Amino acid sequence: MRVGALGSVFMMNMLPAILVILFFTLIGVASFAALLLFQDLSNWQQVLSSRYIWRLLNFSLWQAFLSSLISLLIAIPVTSALMHRRFWGRDTLLQLFSISLVVPTIVAILGIVVVYGQSGWITRATGVEIPLYGLFGILLAHVFFNMPLAVRILIQAHSLIPVGQWRLSYQLGFSRWNLFCWVEWPYLRKALPGAFLLIFMLCFSSFAVVLSLGGGPKSSTLEVAIYQALKFEFDIAKASVLSLLQVFVCSLVAVLVYRFAYHYQQDFSLKRLQNYPVKDSIQAKCFDIGFLVFALLILLPPFIAILTPVFSPLFIATLEQEATWSAFWVTIKIAVPSAAMSLGLAMAFVVVSRACMDRRGFAWLPSKLEYLGGIILILPSLVMATGLFLLLRNLGIAAFDLAYWVVVWVNAIMALPFVLRVVLPTFYQQEKRYRTLYQSLGIHGLARFRLEWPMVRQSVAQATAYALLLSLGDMSVIALFGSQGLTSLPLYLFQLIGSYRIEQGACIAVLLVIVCFALFSACNRVIGGKSNA
Amino acid sequence: MRKPFITSLALATLAGLSFSSVLQAEENKTLNVYTYDSFASDWGPGPKIKANFEKECGCTLNYVTLDSSVGILSRVQLEGGSSKADVLLGLDLNLMKTAKDSGLIAEHQVDTSQVTTPGGWTDNSFVPFDQGYFAFIYNTETLKDVPKSLKEVVENQDLSIIYQDPRTSTPGLGLMLWMKSVYGDDADQAWQTLASHTKTVTKGWYDGYSMFLKGEADLVLSYTTSPAYHMVVENESKYQAVPASEGFYPQIEVAAQLKSAPNPVLANQFMAFILTQGFQSEVATGNWMFPVIELGDSLPKAFSGLEQPAKVLTLPADQVAVNRKQWINEWLDSVTQ
Repeated sequence: MRVGALGSVFMMNMLPAILVILFFTLIGVASFAALLLFQDLSNWQQVLSSRYIWRLLNFSLWQAFLSSLISLLIAIPVTSALMHRRFWGRDTLLQLFSISLVVPTIVAILGIVVVYGQSGWITRATGVEIPLYGLFGILLAHVFFNMPLAVRILIQAHSLIPVGQWRLSYQLGFSRWNLFCWVEWPYLRKALPGAFLLIFMLCFSSFAVVLSLGGGPKSSTLEVAIYQALKFEFDIAKASVLSLLQVFVCSLVAVLVYRFAYHYQQDFSLKRLQNYPVKDSIQAKCFDIGFLVFALLILLPPFIAILTPVFSPLFIATLEQEATWSAFWVTIKIAVPSAAMSLGLAMAFVVVSRACMDRRGFAWLPSKLEYLGGIILILPSLVMATGLFLLLRNLGIAAFDLAYWVVVWVNAIMALPFVLRVVLPTFYQQEKRYRTLYQSLGIHGLARFRLEWPMVRQSVAQATAYALLLSLGDMSVIALFGSQGLTSLPLYLFQLIGSYRIEQGACIAVLLVIVCFALFSACNRVIGGKSNA
Repeated sequence: MRKPFITSLALATLAGLSFSSVLQAEENKTLNVYTYDSFASDWGPGPKIKANFEKECGCTLNYVTLDSSVGILSRVQLEGGSSKADVLLGLDLNLMKTAKDSGLIAEHQVDTSQVTTPGGWTDNSFVPFDQGYFAFIYNTETLKDVPKSLKEVVENQDLSIIYQDPRTSTPGLGLMLWMKSVYGDDADQAWQTLASHTKTVTKGWYDGYSMFLKGEADLVLSYTTSPAYHMVVENESKYQAVPASEGFYPQIEVAAQLKSAPNPVLANQFMAFILTQGFQSEVATGNWMFPVIELGDSLPKAFSGLEQPAKVLTLPADQVAVNRKQWINEWLDSVTQ
């Protein structure tokens, strides 16, 4: 088909989708421009000459480096142990690893405070006071979130080891250690740089953890400093310089991530792995058990801590409070529209990318669109919100009148890369298989959607559920734009932790987890259909 | 088959719509007062003052609470002209210049001639509502070796200390000025010394004081009047203020009306109400600060037994206004080393 013909046929159908993408890009560019607009040389000089800023940058990088390093150091032996042993509860353990990836940040923080805090379990049981607030707490929380992530990435790499190699090492009578050095390590090693950089970037932009567990100005990161510059000092110039600094470092790391990230085959499942037993020894057993128990000790207590208040009388009392329910409604009012918006945006990307797929003159576009959809990775939500705030201010619109929509919009964008990652492959697959068939039968638009829907609804449901979870747990934009009438459950929980009302906070955490779970299953049921429930 | 999906989209839109209509449906006879958390809390002076004022005005007084006192100002700055606030309650002397420079504050028409603050009151943008002196509070049952001056508090490495962030809280800002007036140019050294035995720096007064009451630290930055609360309400005299041989640093908390106040008539009425019995009598036994008008005998006895300042330190307001940012940076710089 000629390019011109394609243009006329598809442009009309795709016009709404193109407009949506243009709108998305326009807002992104405009908010970034608003940040740049606030720059002049004296700002930079003033901010860059402050030793405090350099110490902040230093600390941000240092804690991110340590968090990634520790997460990986634990994840490597844990992965190896998990892949070698088949034991009772292994699947549950793997599930626990997945849950800690999606549990709202602030809920996990609460769990950590209950376990390690000043009047927490450990201090009460042993009398040893743990210096939670500061670097230690930040690292603990970051390892809690990212070690499971690292394990999942490494498991993918690990399962790429060909069955032949397992057989061979079995025949050669490799010990556990030999096996690790000669078979596993070369595969794991390939995934390490990508995993390290990904975790580094996540920890560098970490907000809620540092805000809650940083404990004063000493252990603060750039992301938190942006928030403080706006919310504490109302120093817009400082906030915008810090934002640009943040964007600069994030883009640098993002470029490295794309460069080093390891690409796996898409359809892969754990069950295919066939295991050949290797020579076992007491040392190897101790080694595996030791690391698995260690990983459990990091992951499990905060989860248990979150769920304990269900049995306390305070739980009912908290549920009876008006503040709880108003926070509940605000959470729903933010999460549902922003998930819908995220899905809408993703659909616009899908429609345009797949129409361009494998077409002369347009084939370059889909991958670029995917990068565009992932813009939030280099423009962290807080920076994006700051940009939007400045943009609205420059336009003479009071950002706080639109606070609700700013929060919904940024949450939608925040979820977009994840939504795209889930829905794009499914829709690409449909396009690849049936494009010519649909075309020759003249089926398009709504008619085609009807035929496709049963095939794609599961991944749409999964994507929406992800988006919902992310907005339900968001504690960055809402921290900046939240107010008395706009307090979501995570923000309310953050305030309770901030004023050391931990017991009441735990009740809110339970409620938030229940909401997450309920919406997640409802979403899978309603959109995904019965088979997915 | 598509129905559920479309239904959920429709629901989402509805949710959005209903939310914006909630925002619009606002009472006309409501006065919005932005204040800090402890003022409006159930045990603070807020509820009684609200009741007293509502009796007078036949309106509704609505507190919008923020988690720290300086936060009140940054909040309205962030909101700009569209703020729903009528009155800001809880800034202090040291923030007046910054607040005025924001261009958001209206002049008041309140007669302040009867105000009892040192040197009287002449400012025509702000009305004072209470006054007191910053002090460190300790528990006499757990702390035996009590410091006698600010210098001893700073230098005694055995004491664990909680204070508030000068960027967010007026007591924190007050401590910064207190340090500055005692140590002068050596303040950065002193901050470093203090930082090495600081338990934590909290965002607002309430967070820090609650931590102290749970026994998390030996000393907490508060006011000379704080022990009166424990004596009157809890009949408990174990909490006392650390003396300061160098002198105490005073605080005068102020209120202001916004230019953009949606309800200027009520705002005016409230500003005048601040200097009446209905407000001032609640200040002493609710906010646990000294009133700013003569109340006669109605002040509880506990107030007379409190630590009295031998000397009062004050830095000139213009100097504070000009240097505040720089001193905050000096503080940040020192405590993060």
